[in-house]
Amino acid sequence: MLTLKGISRNFPGVRALSGVNLEVRRGEIHGLLGENGAGKSTLIKIVAGALAPDEGEISFDDRPVSWSSPREAKLAGVHVVYQEFALFPQLSVAENIYLGNERRNALGLVDLRRTRRDASELMKKLGVSLDPRASVASLSVADQQMVEIARAMTHNVRLLILDEPTAVIAGREVALLFDRLRRLRNAGVSVLFISHRLDEIFALCDRVTILKDGRLVGTQDTADVTRERLITMMVGRDLGDLFPPRSAATRTDQPVLRTDTISIGDRVRDVSIELHAGEIVALAGMVGAGRSDLALGLFGAVPISSGTLHIAGKRFAAMSPARAIGLGMGLVTEDRKSQGLAMLLDIAANMTGPALGEVTRHGMIDRERETSIAAREIERYRIACRGPATPVATMSGGNQQKVVIARWARLCRSVLILDEPTRGVDVGAKAEIYRIMRELADSGLAILMISSELTEVLGMADRVIVMREGRITGELPGREATEESIMHLATSERAA
Amino acid sequence: MSGSVEIASQVAPSWSVRTVMTRFGIAFALPLLLLLGGVMSPAFLSPGNLSNMLLQFAPLAIVAMGQCMVMIVRGLDLSVASMMATAAVIATGFSGADRDVASIVAMAMVVAMAAGLLNGFLVTKRQVSPFLATLATMILLQGFRFAYTQGAPSGNVPPFLRVLGSGKFHGVPYNALVLLLLAAVLGVVLHRSGFGRRIFIVGGNPVTGRLFGIRSDAVTIACYVISSCLAATAGLILSGYVGLVDNWVGQGYELDSIVACVVGRVSLRGGRGSILGALIGAAIIVILANEVLLLGIPIQAQLIIKGIVIVAAAAVYTRRDGS
Repeated sequence: MLTLKGISRNFPGVRALSGVNLEVRRGEIHGLLGENGAGKSTLIKIVAGALAPDEGEISFDDRPVSWSSPREAKLAGVHVVYQEFALFPQLSVAENIYLGNERRNALGLVDLRRTRRDASELMKKLGVSLDPRASVASLSVADQQMVEIARAMTHNVRLLILDEPTAVIAGREVALLFDRLRRLRNAGVSVLFISHRLDEIFALCDRVTILKDGRLVGTQDTADVTRERLITMMVGRDLGDLFPPRSAATRTDQPVLRTDTISIGDRVRDVSIELHAGEIVALAGMVGAGRSDLALGLFGAVPISSGTLHIAGKRFAAMSPARAIGLGMGLVTEDRKSQGLAMLLDIAANMTGPALGEVTRHGMIDRERETSIAAREIERYRIACRGPATPVATMSGGNQQKVVIARWARLCRSVLILDEPTRGVDVGAKAEIYRIMRELADSGLAILMISSELTEVLGMADRVIVMREGRITGELPGREATEESIMHLATSERAA
Repeated sequence: MSGSVEIASQVAPSWSVRTVMTRFGIAFALPLLLLLGGVMSPAFLSPGNLSNMLLQFAPLAIVAMGQCMVMIVRGLDLSVASMMATAAVIATGFSGADRDVASIVAMAMVVAMAAGLLNGFLVTKRQVSPFLATLATMILLQGFRFAYTQGAPSGNVPPFLRVLGSGKFHGVPYNALVLLLLAAVLGVVLHRSGFGRRIFIVGGNPVTGRLFGIRSDAVTIACYVISSCLAATAGLILSGYVGLVDNWVGQGYELDSIVACVVGRVSLRGGRGSILGALIGAAIIVILANEVLLLGIPIQAQLIIKGIVIVAAAAVYTRRDGS
């Protein structure tokens, strides 16, 4: 039903896609798999009419098409649900579903009653039960996603494209989403499902197309391809060397950081943990389990409501980022763009930002010193850039992340907290970041890694602490932990 | 995304044609404007006129530099003109003799610091929008001023301030020397010092600033205090230029200083800007006003031209900044 032939697209300095073929059949769920930067997003935008290809042909329903706007693609029945939803939070569920496609009465005014009734029916078909009058802002992310999908259905959708829909939801919600997508498929709708999670591809998709570096690697039936084969296709090499080996007993007996029943609002409750120098502790759990809040609390970026922190033998009832930095702590935040980096400044300024005192003399910045520090770190961590004066905003996600990690690796003396350290970075940078983390642990730092990627948790952690709904639900030795045992602690009710 | 991301901050510049154009393109407008003015009216480039323009340039430029620092920390200072008038009223509030100059300066600075602290406190600790906070301070200062002058300011500006505001040394106004000194100091503070770096970090993103252990609030408050003090300085100078003082010395400078900054590529969204940019922006505004005057163009046209300049600056910069 959708056929792409020889699609290429260039951006200034980058060949995002070259000669890609893709065929999506009627009523199939087709996976699109690839690392970050493989060209998945560009491909979707071309199919959705948001970008024009430089070369190649698109045909839809056996007719060649050249959509010049997303609107034209939508009229033909192609609908994309992006990671950032295009919903109006203050409007109701029903109004959002029929936005731009309003149910009208004889006077040409919006018929709210009919809107709600039709919305209810539509949702019933999808197997969703939401109050059509509820405001979208009050819904969970998973439910908002359903509203997006329901909206697509009002446009008589024939091809539904989902851009990493499972990046924002977890566990049971994923299962529900899959169930609903299968219903759509059975109703004759084709689904193009973008993901980099193999389990999901196998669980949901009929066929899968793999992209790497803007090129087509191949299309496979999921029934006759192995997991290992897909990884090799996606990464272009074995994953065996992704994680550095755990080192033998560098861990110290005395904890560097210990928390005594700390709570942060109602997001973190009575958490007591210990971190030792020389170990990597993974903090696992679902999105929203309070892991990031705990990290921010340990670093003093959000106030602790009760309990105490013990760092390097000293007791603190309150923490602040300045004090945490003074104690040799570091925090690599989940969102580097809005938190971790001064995006308007260059690499050198980002390296020294939290410890400006070190490069100021008589109040003046010693730019030469700063530049040489940055140059050294750029070389050590192989950060791709034009030099210390490169504005970080112009760099790729992986290199930006390396700047953040290099900064803290240099400044940190006791505890380094990393919140989703490899999110949005390509596999090469990932391996590098893992190697750096292990080196830092071996050099005597205590490392707390928050991660939602179980492979990463299992591959890196010496110890796994699992959180659910603000509480610690269990602790597992890294070597003995399995995906199942972690998921069990992260999702199920605790035994009474 | 369009074009390169450009920064006017503490970053060592690279000197390709493109970066020079994006960083300093606005500076090329200056000689062009001077040349154009000379062609359009011969009197424009006469030494007398140039030195007069310089005389008018200093007060606006001084205010614009303060405005620039506030804008970099994502703010806006509408109270500067009211602060100028208040300082001018203080200048005539004493005997009018030179022995009171020190008292005048001290009192003006105390009031300015209070106003700046109030602005900064409202914006950071009470999360009042900068627009509203500085508007309130503007009105507050107005009220105090009226109460103090009973509506009709009287008294004389001390001769020292008169010389400072309108005197020239071999054609170079004294006030331009004051400006030069202030610009040099502020330029170094903003673009070379640790405090300046913190201003850019906090202005670019307050959350990042906090995670860097920077006391964002203190940095922001300091910028408002600096802006108020510069406005008071400009008010004293302007009172010396005008000679007699009414309640509205400096009227219009709040918007003119913002326009100067916008034209000089100081971002209203914070995190970008330079002292040099503010100076160039102020110069362009003064030159335009002077040219319009020389050509005998009516005041309406002057406003239209100013409007066009703002629109042009906004259009060019938003496109280059890719947002």
